[in-house]
Amino acid sequence: MSENFDNKNHENQSDPNYWRSFEELYKDENTLKSKLDEFKDGVTDDFEIDKNLSGLSRRKFLALLGASAALAGAGCSDYRDKGEIIPYNKKSEEIIIGKANYYASTCLSCENACGILIKTREGRPIKVDGNPDHPVSKGKTCAKGQASILDLYDPSRLQTPMLKRGGSFSTSDWKTTDQEILKVLNSDPSKEIAIVTHSIISPTTQKLFDDFKIKYPETQIYSYELFDNFIKNSAWQKCYNQQNFPLIKWNEAEVILSLEGDFLGIEGNKVEQVRLYSEKRDIMKGSNFNRLYVVEGNLTLTGMNADYRLRLKPDAQYDFVMGLLNEIILNKKVSQISLDNNSVSILSTFTLDTISKKYGLSKDVLNSLVSDLIKNKGKSIVYAGRSLSEKVQIAVNLLNETLGNTTLYNNNEALINSNLTDYIGFEKLTANINAGKVKAVIHFDTNPVYHLPAEFKYWDAISKSTVITFATSINETTALSNFVLPINHNFESWGDVKVRTSFYSLVQPVISPLYNTRQKEAVLLTWLSGDSKNFSETIYVDYLKNNWKSTIYPALNSLFDFERYWAGILHDGVAKINEKQQISYNFSQVALTQLDNQSESKAGYTVTLQESYTIGDGRFSNNGWLQELAHPVTKVTWDNYAAISESTAKKLSLKTNDLIEVTYNSNKLKLPILIQPGVADEMIAVDLGYGRTNSPVVANEVGFNANILLSKNSSLSRWILTGASISKVNGTYEIVSTQDHHTFDDTLIQDIHLKRNIIQEGTLSQYNKNPNFIHEKKHDAVNMYKDFEYKGVKWAMSIDLNKCLGCGDCVVACNVENNIPVVGKDQVALGREMNWLRIDRYYSGTPENPKVSIQPMLCQHCDHAPCENVCPVVATTHSDDGLNQMVYNRCVGTRYCSNNCPYKVRRYNFFNFRDHFRGGYQEQASFELVMNPEVTVRSRGVMEKCTFCIQRIMEARQEATKKNTTIKGTDVSTACQEACGTEAIVFGDMNDVESKLSKYRNHQLGYVVLEEINVKPNVTYLAKLRNTFSEEV
Amino acid sequence: MSNNFIDYILRIRLPIVLFVAVLSFAITYFASRSERDGVGYAPEQPINFSHALHAGQMKIDCLYCHTTVEKTRHASIPVVSTCMNCHTIARKDRPEIIKLTKYYNDGTPIPWKRIHKVPDYAYFNHSSHVTKGIECQTCHGPVEEMEKVSQIKPFTMGDCLSCHRNAQANLPYLKQVNKGPDNCWACHR
Repeated sequence: MSENFDNKNHENQSDPNYWRSFEELYKDENTLKSKLDEFKDGVTDDFEIDKNLSGLSRRKFLALLGASAALAGAGCSDYRDKGEIIPYNKKSEEIIIGKANYYASTCLSCENACGILIKTREGRPIKVDGNPDHPVSKGKTCAKGQASILDLYDPSRLQTPMLKRGGSFSTSDWKTTDQEILKVLNSDPSKEIAIVTHSIISPTTQKLFDDFKIKYPETQIYSYELFDNFIKNSAWQKCYNQQNFPLIKWNEAEVILSLEGDFLGIEGNKVEQVRLYSEKRDIMKGSNFNRLYVVEGNLTLTGMNADYRLRLKPDAQYDFVMGLLNEIILNKKVSQISLDNNSVSILSTFTLDTISKKYGLSKDVLNSLVSDLIKNKGKSIVYAGRSLSEKVQIAVNLLNETLGNTTLYNNNEALINSNLTDYIGFEKLTANINAGKVKAVIHFDTNPVYHLPAEFKYWDAISKSTVITFATSINETTALSNFVLPINHNFESWGDVKVRTSFYSLVQPVISPLYNTRQKEAVLLTWLSGDSKNFSETIYVDYLKNNWKSTIYPALNSLFDFERYWAGILHDGVAKINEKQQISYNFSQVALTQLDNQSESKAGYTVTLQESYTIGDGRFSNNGWLQELAHPVTKVTWDNYAAISESTAKKLSLKTNDLIEVTYNSNKLKLPILIQPGVADEMIAVDLGYGRTNSPVVANEVGFNANILLSKNSSLSRWILTGASISKVNGTYEIVSTQDHHTFDDTLIQDIHLKRNIIQEGTLSQYNKNPNFIHEKKHDAVNMYKDFEYKGVKWAMSIDLNKCLGCGDCVVACNVENNIPVVGKDQVALGREMNWLRIDRYYSGTPENPKVSIQPMLCQHCDHAPCENVCPVVATTHSDDGLNQMVYNRCVGTRYCSNNCPYKVRRYNFFNFRDHFRGGYQEQASFELVMNPEVTVRSRGVMEKCTFCIQRIMEARQEATKKNTTIKGTDVSTACQEACGTEAIVFGDMNDVESKLSKYRNHQLGYVVLEEINVKPNVTYLAKLRNTFSEEV
Repeated sequence: MSNNFIDYILRIRLPIVLFVAVLSFAITYFASRSERDGVGYAPEQPINFSHALHAGQMKIDCLYCHTTVEKTRHASIPVVSTCMNCHTIARKDRPEIIKLTKYYNDGTPIPWKRIHKVPDYAYFNHSSHVTKGIECQTCHGPVEEMEKVSQIKPFTMGDCLSCHRNAQANLPYLKQVNKGPDNCWACHR
């Protein structure tokens, strides 16, 4: 056996050294030592008998046990009560007890508004999936959409209207608040009513605002998003005289160059973009991959999936793009358009050479980038992130124009402009309020006190007006309001949405309001009607239907009468309309006058403010599932931090967890740092959305509020701040990540884990030359067991690492499906997070230019599962359809199985986490409703792990039994598979050789992790191929 | 201490103590077996509903009331409005029907006492059994003869498995029946 583990066989390989953290890269003794133990030191500290059980001895304990048994024996004299079965009094027609219903609706978690299907059981929503009929999201949703169901049942939601009287809030009722607010609205018509909202994506809400303006002509609408496409759109306007930046046909691009643009992670409609991008990463369709170049400051999700990544401070992007233009237009003489002399002279001041020298960019990569872009004229796209300045955007538009890449703009479909208000507009609003010209400010489910730059002193201004805030739960703005009106959740609301030409999507409620809340539009309608009495539950849906009937429906020439048409589109969730248009793109040379020879970079540090991958602009900060979802790159949970490069940290003599103070335009922020591989020097990157000061219990004291760095005077854009200063301050703050524990068992010899082929990858050219290259080295696998013959279906999963981007949407889908609790930061720190599915992230290469490898890791359902042999109570066994079964009611919690699992995918309930987290927050009654009734809710002392969604398998099996057929592999899809936006996860029957799963499983790139221990996993991975210009990785 | 005394303790007293302990345990164990399994449990119900009258004498099909038994894993207790299909007219003056009507008119559900129960961690599916032709009486006993329903069979894992492993012998009235799955996740998940 020992030869199998021998290092020597592998020594000649050119495998990169994979590392997960700096401690590991530098072989920090403590870290290496901690890998020897399954459970970290201190993990079991809470359970020391002396501390917790007041020194009760074993003898006393047994005596007590005996006595209580005797007492119980003596005391039991009758049958156990089995409780009651309570049927409905009158049942609604749609409900069949035990059967799920699905309703199409639209997710309003962000302005992209994807189509969703909400699964309900006995009238309560329990899961969100994508609506396959939706033309954009096509059956997929993101993590936020999936997790938004937790917000519906959040017990800290506002449950009744509140009124501020004499500085403190008291609960009120709708009648009182309506009457008092109407008094304010009907007062002095010379004063303004300001409505502050997010993007208006609903045509009917827009009509409602218009109607509101008719009744109250003094009304002004202000709308904002914390992150928007303002700069991109205004640059586009200057270049093409059209309102909006167009949609891009990512699936047709052979070469993609993304500058500071996280289009796979957070920018734009990610659900659509990852699907289109991954169409060109499908090994089953041949090896014609696209090539992704990323030039960025902070390591983002897009950057970590790049074939080539160059790290560059965001303020140097202008120099870079101009250098690229110079190289392509002047040196290589490639251009579709002719430039005037002035532009040429500006261009000639920038050369790629100087930039590559100044910022240490690899010459080889730049050369290949230039030649790729030229070679793929008309088939490549250069994408500038929304945070880059207008100058850069115009230069990038010119670059695409030069290369003839306008063919990749979608000219049949366009985004609808949502006309956001800029900072100047908000400054005017603040001034008006301060001048007493505003009688009422209505916050239409917005939180401007938290989102607007500190220098507006918005919080101060609104004290001079009557403030009415619609909100689902308390926030910074509600605290300063006179009226706080609780509103319906997305899933309790009606609505319509139009984000693009060619279709509408519909929002319908799937549960009646849980609390005394109202839909925000309905409240406005009630005010419009002039009397609180006029409110009814259907007031808004009637208005919505009337609007459709009178304005939208007549133009459609539908064959059906309106009621039938309406029922049809409600069912589908989408109303497609004939709105084909042909957009043409004519570049206007005038835009080039905006370009100058001034570099944007400035002395001092650059701060980039980024949208959180999980909690959005802060609106999901009370969502435990999202807070606990690890950051896709850094794997940090429950916090934000300043990501900083290793050399900059060294220069400032900083270590991870040290506190720094960032100063920008006299705004100061103290926060901890995280040394992050791949970050450009002299910059830090901070996520927004954290550090809520007035929030419900989950978001309390989570992270730091970096919104205070926002400034109307920032030179490049709102989100790129140049010339900031950074200083070390005393103290540390512990950042917690899921990165360095639950790692692979690599105790045998220290070096061996670097070479154990956990990650196997290569390059496309390597694969084209020898498709079998990953199987060149063979293991002499030793088998101790007799092989079991699996007749019938045998379940297996295959994960295509070429398509997996590491976003974590699958993790949240799994959490929702399988009733996985939130454990809290303190428990994550101890390695007790409960996610059944985790995304492992490995670095290789140098800390400056790391290569990132990603691997979703879940129970491998090994045929020869090592966990099964060691369970003393046979709580984990194997089924004859190839599943590694975990039986909770049998488990006594020895944790032997976890100790023996080579993949570290078992999760132990050290507590009843529902009871433990934030003082039993998750045990509140409303959270009982979010549980999937087909999955046991586990309690303290029980081991658990991925089940391949056995509840779905059994449901399909029982359906097949009823129909007198046998179950097929295609009958079941797992929750993670359904959620995966790139279809990287394939699940099915490996005994069916024709199935998609078998094709993946038997593909030449397919491999199992830790093949040499021969536990025969049923999960296989397809090795990642990097599309590089040479064979080297 | 003399050897004799130790000898006495070891040879006489200890066996007697052990014997008494084991015997009393064994007697209690077997005597209380059916009670622990719930066999014979027949609680008072909020309304004195007679299966013997409805299912036996009047031969109303089980599925008339237990509507979802062929569709989902629950057999489901009928909603109050199902009773009122007949009882808005039939036997309106009887005290039990007056009770029933009151529940209906008040809109309150009837809190029936639960008789048959498998633990929460066992996911029994009625539909996949009933659609295979297994009669309700196989597990629930001759309900159509019961004035007051009581549990007849022990709903233990052993009881489930004995049938799953040897289906044909336990269900002689079926022409052909496959054995049921006996892996853990067939019921527990």
